[in-house]
Amino acid sequence: MEPPSTAPGPVRSAWRGFRAALGHMAGTRHGAVGCAILLVLAIVAIFAPLIAPYDPLQQAQASLTPPSMRDLFGTDNTGRDIFSLVIYGTRTSLAIGLGAAFGALVLSGLVGMLAGYFRGPVEAILMRLAELFQTLPVIVVVLFTVALFGSSFWLLLAAIILAIWPVEARLVYGQYLRLRSMDFVAAAKVADMSTIHIMLREILPNAIRPVIVQVALDASVAILIEAGLGFLGLSDPNTVSWGQLLYVAQDYMTIAWWTSFFPGAAICLAVVGLNLFADGLNEILDPRTRGRAGGLQS
Amino acid sequence: MLRFVLFRLLHAIPLLIAVILVILLMLQFIPGDPVQAMVGDFPVSPEFRAAITQQYHLDDPFPVRVYSYFVNLLHGDFGYSYQFQRPVWDLIAESAPRTILLTLVGFLIAVPFGVLVGTVSGTTRSSRVDHFWTSTALVAYAIPTFWLGQLLVLVLAVHLGWFPTQGMGPLVSRAHGLSWFLERAHYIALPALAFAVHEGTRFARIMRASVADTLGQGYIVTARAKGLSRGAIIRGHVLRNSSLPLVTVAGYAFGAALGGAVLLETVFTWPGLGLLLVQAVRMRDNMTVVGIVIFAAIAVVVINLLVDLLYAALDPRIRGRG
Repeated sequence: MEPPSTAPGPVRSAWRGFRAALGHMAGTRHGAVGCAILLVLAIVAIFAPLIAPYDPLQQAQASLTPPSMRDLFGTDNTGRDIFSLVIYGTRTSLAIGLGAAFGALVLSGLVGMLAGYFRGPVEAILMRLAELFQTLPVIVVVLFTVALFGSSFWLLLAAIILAIWPVEARLVYGQYLRLRSMDFVAAAKVADMSTIHIMLREILPNAIRPVIVQVALDASVAILIEAGLGFLGLSDPNTVSWGQLLYVAQDYMTIAWWTSFFPGAAICLAVVGLNLFADGLNEILDPRTRGRAGGLQS
Repeated sequence: MLRFVLFRLLHAIPLLIAVILVILLMLQFIPGDPVQAMVGDFPVSPEFRAAITQQYHLDDPFPVRVYSYFVNLLHGDFGYSYQFQRPVWDLIAESAPRTILLTLVGFLIAVPFGVLVGTVSGTTRSSRVDHFWTSTALVAYAIPTFWLGQLLVLVLAVHLGWFPTQGMGPLVSRAHGLSWFLERAHYIALPALAFAVHEGTRFARIMRASVADTLGQGYIVTARAKGLSRGAIIRGHVLRNSSLPLVTVAGYAFGAALGGAVLLETVFTWPGLGLLLVQAVRMRDNMTVVGIVIFAAIAVVVINLLVDLLYAALDPRIRGRG
């Protein structure tokens, strides 16, 4: 227990909350596996230069050699070591996943909050805007943006955020719409708290739970989209990415299965990890889902 | 019902116009020369430049350009592709039916699969069957369609030789109707399967949640109290009521597939809209890119509208809201 003289402070209480959440997470089957996968990927991404046996762009080996002890995942058509490429590709995918999830959270949080709290014309305009961006499939929006403006890392990130924010914005909007008419908000208004204070300090902590789950899912969508774009040969040519490896593999996989198999498996691993993590989050944030039996079980 | 139709139309038309406006607005911000951005990467003579500038009102203010674009659209003119040397509409009209064919066959596999698996796992929640399917669905949903496509090609086409690796079969054929389809069934099998794995697991997920939701309703308790058998309850009450959300999701998925088959069609070199879009992007043929994206937007909005109307026809409770 903390001594009462030291006030917890927001940072410390957030840290305590985080530690507690991590503990809960490890208790759920899906969450524990998801956490483990993400942890491994994060370590691989951070320490890529130490883990990768070769420089990913170095064309030192013989081309298209099958997996062996020397080249764990084999080599590609230009003699690059696929294991090293996959290791470095983790960086791109995680950066896109994290960046897009964070960007979409900020954008959709802002839009959803404003629309849900103020209603009226603000609501009408912002929610129509969300609908507008939701009309076309995500991949088409990203492809279109990249086609017009090019595919540097930042542009790609912006394009993905632009394509995925509406789902989350609707979620935040729904939460604010529901919570704004609750008694605690009315009480805060009577207490003459500022609107910003009510939106951020009163409603936000109550609204955030389902949104956090969506953030994890957003990251997995972003990783899939980046991989898809790489597969089409349209991602940033200056970065190593899993999708791009699959693009190259397209021409060689009939004679060298390893060029396609390992990068694809890496994408799957990241997406499964994020989905399991989201499942775990869902479970610890909403205890009602635990132990609910089906109606026809007898 | 009429009021509902009018209400939805009033909603869909401005949405469509807004989407097209945003697309045209984005064209404004392309860096570089607008004429070059229109025709793609090839040299243009001054005369040609002047003709294009005049034809597409490139020197006029944005509203004039938008107006002329809409007038053209209403005449069925989606612009001209200088890379393919054909009107964009011709390209779309040629490839869209192939995408629709692929999507339809994919749906023929995905929908029954989703309904069956979703119902079985939803009615036996928390049992071993359910756990198995939820875990399978989780993994199946995480596999990128294009990678699954590559694996299918690798195993079923290259190693076992059961299917062709790519394409749509002979482009010119005398066959008609069913025999035309049978000629292509071989080619369609793998892409349709890859599509169905992804969509089918999604449908199963939704069906499962919907079934679980239905089971909690009062009329199920009543039906059980009446002494109806488990099978009769599932067939008579659960299946019908749980299918409604699936109608919406599957319908929306159909609209999205028309534009979203980009990756799938690229893996199998299936010459549909998606592959056309990718080719156009690679050639920097922006006229075609914009044409396809606008066509996809129209398709999505129209199909979503039809889905909503169908939903209202199936479920009388919806009509009241309007």
